[in-house]
Amino acid sequence: MNRLSAFSFFLLSTFFLTNCNQSGSDTASGDKPVIGVTMLSMQNEFIVNVSDEIDKKAEEAGVELITVDAERSALKQIEQVESFIAQGVDAIIMNPCEVEASSPAVAKALAAGIPIINVNSATATKPSAFVGSDDVESARIAMKYIAEKLGGKGNVIMIHGYMGQAAQIQREQGAREILKNYPDLKLLASQTGEWDRAKAMSLMENWIQSYGSQINAVFAHNDEMGMGAMKALTDAGLKDKILVVSIDAIPDALQAVQKGTLDATVYQNAKQQGSQAIETALKILNKQPYEQEVLIPFQLVTKQNVAEFVK
Amino acid sequence: MKQLVTSLYNQAGTSYKKRVQGIGTYGILLAFIVICVALALSTPRFLTVSNLTIIVTQVSINALLAFGVTFVIITGGIDLSLGSLVAVTGVVAAMFAHPDTFPLIVPLVFALGAGLLMGGFNGLVITKSKVPPFIVTLGTMTIGRGLALILSKGRPISNLSDSFNFIGGGKILGIPFPIIILLIVFVACSLLLRKTIWGRYMYAVGGNEQAARASGIPVEKIKMLVYMLSGTLAGLAGLVLTARITTGQPNAGQGFELDAIAAAIIGGTSTSGGSGSMTGTLIGALLIGVISNGLDLLNVTSYYQQVVMGVIIIGAVILDGLNRKAA
Repeated sequence: MNRLSAFSFFLLSTFFLTNCNQSGSDTASGDKPVIGVTMLSMQNEFIVNVSDEIDKKAEEAGVELITVDAERSALKQIEQVESFIAQGVDAIIMNPCEVEASSPAVAKALAAGIPIINVNSATATKPSAFVGSDDVESARIAMKYIAEKLGGKGNVIMIHGYMGQAAQIQREQGAREILKNYPDLKLLASQTGEWDRAKAMSLMENWIQSYGSQINAVFAHNDEMGMGAMKALTDAGLKDKILVVSIDAIPDALQAVQKGTLDATVYQNAKQQGSQAIETALKILNKQPYEQEVLIPFQLVTKQNVAEFVK
Repeated sequence: MKQLVTSLYNQAGTSYKKRVQGIGTYGILLAFIVICVALALSTPRFLTVSNLTIIVTQVSINALLAFGVTFVIITGGIDLSLGSLVAVTGVVAAMFAHPDTFPLIVPLVFALGAGLLMGGFNGLVITKSKVPPFIVTLGTMTIGRGLALILSKGRPISNLSDSFNFIGGGKILGIPFPIIILLIVFVACSLLLRKTIWGRYMYAVGGNEQAARASGIPVEKIKMLVYMLSGTLAGLAGLVLTARITTGQPNAGQGFELDAIAAAIIGGTSTSGGSGSMTGTLIGALLIGVISNGLDLLNVTSYYQQVVMGVIIIGAVILDGLNRKAA
C-alpha cells in the first residue's frame, strides 16, 4: 500500500505537472500553421518576456503555438523537440539550454525536415536561422562604460553568472577584452553570484569588508546581481563612490537607473528577439527569403536615455 | 503513564541527554573555533565587529530554516520543500507589501500563514497517507515553486514599502533586525525543544515511533506540529529574504533546503532521528556562514570555494564524531 500510494502520487504529480507545462493544444491539426516553442526557463524574467512576445506575434499572425519549458535541462529540451517532431509541427523555435548539449535537438529537427530557429542563444549545430544578440558585445559595452567613467584607471570587481553557462562565459570574455585595453584598470576580485540577487548581495557585503573604498566599480553579469551589489553598497553608505553596471535592463534595473542608484545597464531587446523569431519562422514557412542570422543590437542605458526604455 | 514516557524518553534520547549536558556539541564548537581562529590569523578583516555582524545577518535566513528542519529531523522526518516555501511566502508577502496599500501586518500574517498552511499540508499528507516524508516534501517542493511562479506570473515583485523592508535591512540599537529575529526564534525553539513535553515527545517519536505510539504519545499530532513549525519558520525566512533584497522573487531560495539540512546535521542532529539540539544547529549554520564569508575575504576563486566548503564540512563532522567517541 505504502509503495503503491507513493507511486501513484508520483504518477499523478508528474502527469499534472507536464500537463500544466503545456499551453495551447496537444495535437497539430487544422490549416493554421503550428509552431513548437521550447524555452530555456520560464523562471527567468527575460525569457518570459521573449516568450510573451512570441505569443503575442503568433496570435496576430494566426499561428498556433505549443510552448513548453525546458527548465534549464538540455536533455528535457531534446525530448521536447522529439515530441514536436512526432506531433508533426510546421516549425520549431528553440531557446537553447546549452551550446553543445542542445545541439542534437537541432540536428533531429533538420533531419525530419522541420525548420528550427534558435532564439536568444546559440547551439554548436547550425539551425535554419538564429535570432538573438551577441553576449560578448553586451559585456564590452558595459565594461567600456566603466573604463570611460573611471578615466581608464581604477579597481573593478566582477560578479559572474553561473560558471560555465554560455552567457557567463561570453560576458566574461567581453569584459576581459576591454580590460586588456586599459592596463591601469585592475580586476580586484571576481566571484560567481549565480545570477541571484541575494547571493550577489552577500558577496558584495563580504567584499566591502575586505576591500572597502579600494573598489571603484562593480560589473555584474546580470541586473539581478547588479541590484544585489547596489543594495549592499547603499547599506554600507558607499554607493555614491562606486559605479555599478550590469546587463539585461529588467524593469527593476531601469527604475534604479532612473533613480540614479544603478549607474548603467545594457538593454537586450526581448521584444525584438521574440517578434523576429516568429517573423523568421513565418518567412521560412511561406518560402520567402530570410536572413540566417538576425542580430538584435544591445543599447547602453544610462540616466540620460533611460526614459526611452521605461514603459 | 508519565513514568512510561519518561523512561521512553530516557531510552530514546540518550544522545539528547548528552547534548543537554553539553558534551556532544563540544566537537562542532571546537571545529567552529578552530576555523574562526584560522581565518582571523589569515586576514585582519575577519575579526571585526562589522564583519561579524554581516556574517550573522547573512546566516539568519539559513538558521531560521535550519531550526525548523531540526524539529523535523529529530522526529525522523525530512523537509525538502523549504526552499520553495521561502519563494512562495516571499512572493505572497511582496504582493501585499507595496507602499500605501495594506498595513504592514497583512504581508506578515499572509506570509507566515502561507508557510503554516503549506507545512500543515506536508504534515497532513505524511500522517494520513504514510507516504515517506522525502517523497511528500519533494512533491511540495515542486508544487511550491509552481505556486510562486503562478502568483508572481514569473516575474519579481518589487517596489515594497520601507516599513516592510525594515524586516530585512533595518537596525535597532545598531543591531540588524534579522539578527534580532534570529535570537528570538533561537530562544523560542530551544525552549520548545528542551522545556516542554512537546519537545520530549519529538525525541521519543524520532527515537522509536512504535514505542512512542504504544506509550500513548500522539505521534500524528507531533508530526503535524513539526511540519507546521518548519513551514512557518520558512515563511519567516521568506519574509526576511524578501525584505533584505527588497523584492519578492519566484526563483528565490533554490537549494536553501540543503543548506538548512546541512546546518542541522553539522550541528549534530542525527539523520535517523531521536537526537539533535538547536544550539548545535545554530553553530552549524554559523560555521557554513563563516566559511563562505572567509573564503570571500581571502578571495578564493569560486571553483575552489565549493571544494573547500565540502572538505571543511566533512572534516568538521568527523572531528565532532571523534570528539564524541573520546567523551
